[in-house]
Amino acid sequence: MPFDHGFRRALAYMVCFVAVVGLAGCGVSSGGGGNSGGSSDEGGGQKGGTLTVFAASSLTDAFGELGKTFEERNPGVKVRQSFESSSTLLTQIQQGAPADVFASAAEEEMNTAVKDGLVQGKPEVFVRNREVIMVPKDNPANIQEFQDVGKPGVKLVLAEDGVPAADYALEILGKADKEYGSGFKKDVLSNVVSREADVRASVNRVVVGDADATFGYASDYTPDVRDKVEVIPIPPDLNIIATYPVAALKDAEDPDLAKKWVDLVTSQEGQHVLEKWNFEPAA
Amino acid sequence: MRRRKKVGLSPRSSGKGDRLASGLAAAALALVAGFISLPILSLILWTISENSWRAMGSPEARDALLLSARTTATTMLIVVTVGTPAAYVLARVRFPGKRFVDALVDVPAVLPPSAAGIALLLTFGRFGLVGKYFEAFGVTMSFTTAAVVIAEVFVAAHFYVRQAAVGFAGVRRDVEEAALVDGAGRFAAFTRVTVPLAFPALVAGAVMAWARALGEFGATIIFAGSFRGVTQTIPLAIFAEFQSNIDAAVALSVLVLGFAFVVILTFKYLTRRATEYED
Repeated sequence: MPFDHGFRRALAYMVCFVAVVGLAGCGVSSGGGGNSGGSSDEGGGQKGGTLTVFAASSLTDAFGELGKTFEERNPGVKVRQSFESSSTLLTQIQQGAPADVFASAAEEEMNTAVKDGLVQGKPEVFVRNREVIMVPKDNPANIQEFQDVGKPGVKLVLAEDGVPAADYALEILGKADKEYGSGFKKDVLSNVVSREADVRASVNRVVVGDADATFGYASDYTPDVRDKVEVIPIPPDLNIIATYPVAALKDAEDPDLAKKWVDLVTSQEGQHVLEKWNFEPAA
Repeated sequence: MRRRKKVGLSPRSSGKGDRLASGLAAAALALVAGFISLPILSLILWTISENSWRAMGSPEARDALLLSARTTATTMLIVVTVGTPAAYVLARVRFPGKRFVDALVDVPAVLPPSAAGIALLLTFGRFGLVGKYFEAFGVTMSFTTAAVVIAEVFVAAHFYVRQAAVGFAGVRRDVEEAALVDGAGRFAAFTRVTVPLAFPALVAGAVMAWARALGEFGATIIFAGSFRGVTQTIPLAIFAEFQSNIDAAVALSVLVLGFAFVVILTFKYLTRRATEYED
């Protein structure tokens, strides 16, 4: 039987796979050992190692830049970052992901992490952000002001439920409901055609041009997307200020390094970088 | 010289070597079985201990399951209707560029689904190569259930067409010709003789294709997006729930695991039946 043959072959592949994964695992652990040995040799007083930062996807560019700064300041240290929605990162940390620092786009996720005893010390709010509406440059749904996202037929994309960018958006719509008359929130939500994994994924829907509009952060209007995307501001009285807390995590491999990262992002230098990427200072 | 030496050595060592080899092979099989069953066991244990059975009955789960059933059924209808004659041509007819077409059919099986999703977006998306003409007629593919079906057909068709072609190639030509001599038309010979003889292969291919369509994730989330009841199939629902409610994600995974078991058992039963008929 062809299936039998395929099955046998699949079995062989699986065995190879297990063997390869096993070997790779050994390789990684021995490689890690070699690495730390090497850096302690060359660095003298300096410590090597890896700092793992879990950060909200809206921080991708700013933290990317700060990561390089951090590596320059701490020779031998490698900064590894994972950018996803704060809610996904929280789930991963709860499941024991090896993170040293957590930077969330909302206080809710951080509060849960604190409550679960995952955080070292007290979280610090280090930056703020504002939501905006983003539309493709050619603006197929002709959205001129915030209220237009409720027009029938607008293809609106939102982040997944529980993702801060979407939670803020819902809060804003709740406020707008009171101002524009009830039904506005319902109209807007009935325009939603897709829920994306994080805020950057929903902005990308607008960049590609398949969505007419999305809720993003002011900081998501990066140089990379400026020639493809237009920003429609949300009236300040309806907008929500997003607050970003950062904290070192209890299971951090090197608590000193983790604290150094928190110090960097809260320092004047870190704040400058964040402002450059369209964030607003915390204080 | 060297060769002879080897031959001379082998009879003495073969008994021990064989036993060692079969021992290793058995250990490898145990490793494989353990490697597959442990994650399954973990899913079930979590569901029991966290009492997340309830999430299986949630409206999200129901919508996702219904959508998956609907889209994969449509996918299979398209794949079997178009794929059967296509596979027959691939198996029986010689034509220029056949090798190329043959290789082309295999591409989606090798291509990572996320790459397939990007490719589909650039083809059928609003500004895609083909999509922009649809758009001119007011037809938008992205974010619709049709996009889910397109993604599923793209990644799954290969499995059916390939198996069916192998099945058709295995049907002896003289049997078909005998039917033609006996006065059957070409179409009748195909439906009454060729298809029944190739049936086990067709069923096997269809089940593989269906399983692939059911598991489709990467191409769907990139090309079709994720919205409850419209484009959020079970794999996408699992991913969405993972953002906020891991219990529900686990429950959905167990649900689809049960689904997979039923499919595999049915498949085994059907192919056994089919081969018995063949004998």
